[in-house]
Formats: sequence, structure tokens, C-alpha cells
Amino acid sequence: MAESIKLAYFMAVKEGASYLGGLLVTDTSGIPLDFRYTEPITPTRLQGILYGKSLEPHLKEEVIQKTLLKELKVAPDLFILSATELAGGWAGDAKCPVLAVQKSQESPLAKVGDAFRAGPRELLLQVAEGAAPMRVLFAASVDAAAQEQAVIKLLEAGYHMDLAEPLERVSAALQSLVVKDS
Amino acid sequence: MFGRVKDAVADAAETLRRAFAGLKVVEVAPEPFPLRSQASACLEARPRAGLQPPVAGGREMPLLEHGLQARALDPFRTTLQQEAGWASWDAGARVVRMTRLEAGRATRIGVPALPHRPQLLGGPEPVAAPASRRLSDPITRPGVRRMDPGLGPVAAEPGLAVMLSRAVPIQGEDIRRLPKGLWMRYSLQLVRGTGENVRNLEVLGLFHIPRKGVADLRHDPRQGRLLLQLEAPAVRAPRAPFILARRKDDGALVSCYLEDA
Repeated sequence: MAESIKLAYFMAVKEGASYLGGLLVTDTSGIPLDFRYTEPITPTRLQGILYGKSLEPHLKEEVIQKTLLKELKVAPDLFILSATELAGGWAGDAKCPVLAVQKSQESPLAKVGDAFRAGPRELLLQVAEGAAPMRVLFAASVDAAAQEQAVIKLLEAGYHMDLAEPLERVSAALQSLVVKDS
Repeated sequence: MFGRVKDAVADAAETLRRAFAGLKVVEVAPEPFPLRSQASACLEARPRAGLQPPVAGGREMPLLEHGLQARALDPFRTTLQQEAGWASWDAGARVVRMTRLEAGRATRIGVPALPHRPQLLGGPEPVAAPASRRLSDPITRPGVRRMDPGLGPVAAEPGLAVMLSRAVPIQGEDIRRLPKGLWMRYSLQLVRGTGENVRNLEVLGLFHIPRKGVADLRHDPRQGRLLLQLEAPAVRAPRAPFILARRKDDGALVSCYLEDA
């Protein structure tokens, strides 16, 4: 059943000197089932000095992401984050496959469901008829078998929704929260 | 008639003859063209002297006669000097004799012990020992706001309410991929639900949207999707196929929920 698949979209942003993150769980239509966000965290100057360059990844992965994941009551089937976060070396502990989805500029593949593997952790996936294929990047912790299972779920969800769009909603919601708090 | 023409021609001839009778022909003798010759000066060659041969000029140096003056060197003079140091050194020297090292004749020299606590002079005594402070304060975990989808709209927490306030895009299904029988049933339901003639309807899309909690919807024709404004009941509401069509005669949009198979 398509309704059983739940997609979790995670994003952490930095606004000024504060960090905050949001986690949106949607069904395969993109309709929000749950949304949680953290309060803005403002590290002190001393913490910024002591943590150095590891401050931002530590806050996003260890503090924000783990806190949000722990609060989820329903385990998502796919954990989707931005390609920038994934390329930065994601080190979270989600129980489901972790991946990034972004729109590509490549020409469409032959038919819906076709996949072109561009690397051991990257592939182009034809989700919609006639549209450009989606670029899917998997975290290093996702093995080949888990990637295949994730592709099946992505195709099922992509039939009803734009797979990359909910991340834009999370970003916009976090921005609105920052404006409201300031 | 021919007589009049003849008279007229005769009159004209007479008129022409009289008009040109007084003309005189004057002959003009051609004037010969005078020939004028101009002489040009002949080229002449004038001898000119060539390069002058180099001339080596001799210059005489003046003799060094007036600039030099002979000076006689002063002769060496000898002076008798005297050094008396050697005599005094010899007279003041003393002979020192070292005693031989022998067993049992050594004397014990006491070495004073170093002070256990050096005395600090010139500075104030510290008030108290400095206390160490812990610098690695851990970052406290942030509070999490949560929204339980089961709660009603009144008790909605800010989290999901913020997300539901944003338009949710719903992609349309590809009608061509539907089974023909199912599509026929949907078409029939559309006609029944809207009361329109099927020939007057242009189907814009088939969408799966919540049966409840849809506050507003707009069609995005450029991307073929619906933009929904949802309320909290939509989270738990079952999804149902929803068909959107346009009337061909006036362009109005009509829609209806469909009974799923």
C-alpha cells in the first residue's frame, strides 16, 4: 500500500548565530503527518572556540538530528536530507536508509522506473514520465540491497508527489519560525 | 477643299521663303594655332670632391718640468730605550710548594643544607589557591515541540500548524496509466457528480487528496498539480481520488470526489 510509506525530510539551518532544525514526515502524497522542530540553539563564544570547525556538524547531527529522531513515534521508511548535508559526511544514526534527492538536468531515461547508476552511491532515477530524472545520493551506510529497496519506495512515492519539494517546505517553515521568534 | 489646302501650303512656303531671304552667310577664316616651344635646361654633371681623407693630427704633451719638486728624505735617527720590568719580575716572584695528598689528613667540610622552602621576598602572599574551572560545558539538548496528529485543530501545537499553513502541492496521476475500465468508471462518476455532458468536459487531472480538512485548493496548470490549503483533520483523513475538469463552453472548473474501487 502506498499509504504505508512514510518519508522523513530533515533540514538544519543556521540563522545568524543560532541553529535550528526541522523534521517533516509526509505520506506518499506529500501531505504532512508530523512536523517537529527544535528551538534555536545559540552556542556561546567559548563553545564556538572550543568546538572549532566541528561545532556545526556536531550541532546538526548529534544534537538537533538525534533529538528530533528520538521524538518521532513512527519510524520513517526513508530519511531524506539535502545533498549538501549528505556530501558533508553524514554521521547520523537513522534506522532507515539515508539519502538525498535532487532534480537533475539530464535528459529523461527511456521509461518510468529506469535507473542509471552513476556511482556506487549515486544513481539517476526516472520517476515521472517525460521529466528529467531525479538524482539520488545514498549515505555510505546504505548498502546495495538497501539501496534497491529504497529505490522501489522512491518510485512508489514519486508517482504521487514531487520527491524533492518537501525539503523546500521545511526550509520555508524554519525561516518563518525564525522570523516569528525574532 | 483641295484648293484651300493648296493655297495654304503655298502661303506657308511663301512665308518661309520670306523669313529666310534676309539671312547672310559669313565665312570665317580659321585662325591658325600658334606653336609655342619651350626649351628645358639640359642636365649637366658637375664634379664634386669626394670624401676628405682622414688627417692624423699630432699633439705634443708638455714636459713635466714645473709640477715636480724633489724632496730629500729625513735620515733615520736612533734612540736608546731601557726596560726595567724584567728585573722587577725576577725580584718579586715567590715559589709556592704544594703539599702532597696523604691518607688520613683530609678534613671534612660541612655543606650547608638548602632551605626547604625558599623565602619569597618582595611580593604579597596569595590570598587563596586558584580554583580550576571546567571549560568543556556540553551543549544542552534543545527542547522539542511536537505536534500529535491525533489532536484536534484547537489543541494543535505550533509545529504541524506551521507546516499546514503552507500550501501542499499534490501531483496529478497519469491518466493514461490507469486501466481503461477504471477510467470509464471515473468518467461516469464525474458526469453524475457534476451533471455535465462528458463531451463538454476537459479532465485536468486525477489527484489523491484527503477527504476532510481541505480548506482551499488551487490548480497549477503549468505543473499540472493541485495546491492544497489543509487543516488539521486532513492529517488523519483517508485519501480519496479527486477529479478536476474544466467545462469547455465557459472554462469553469468542476470537480468531484470519486468512489475508489
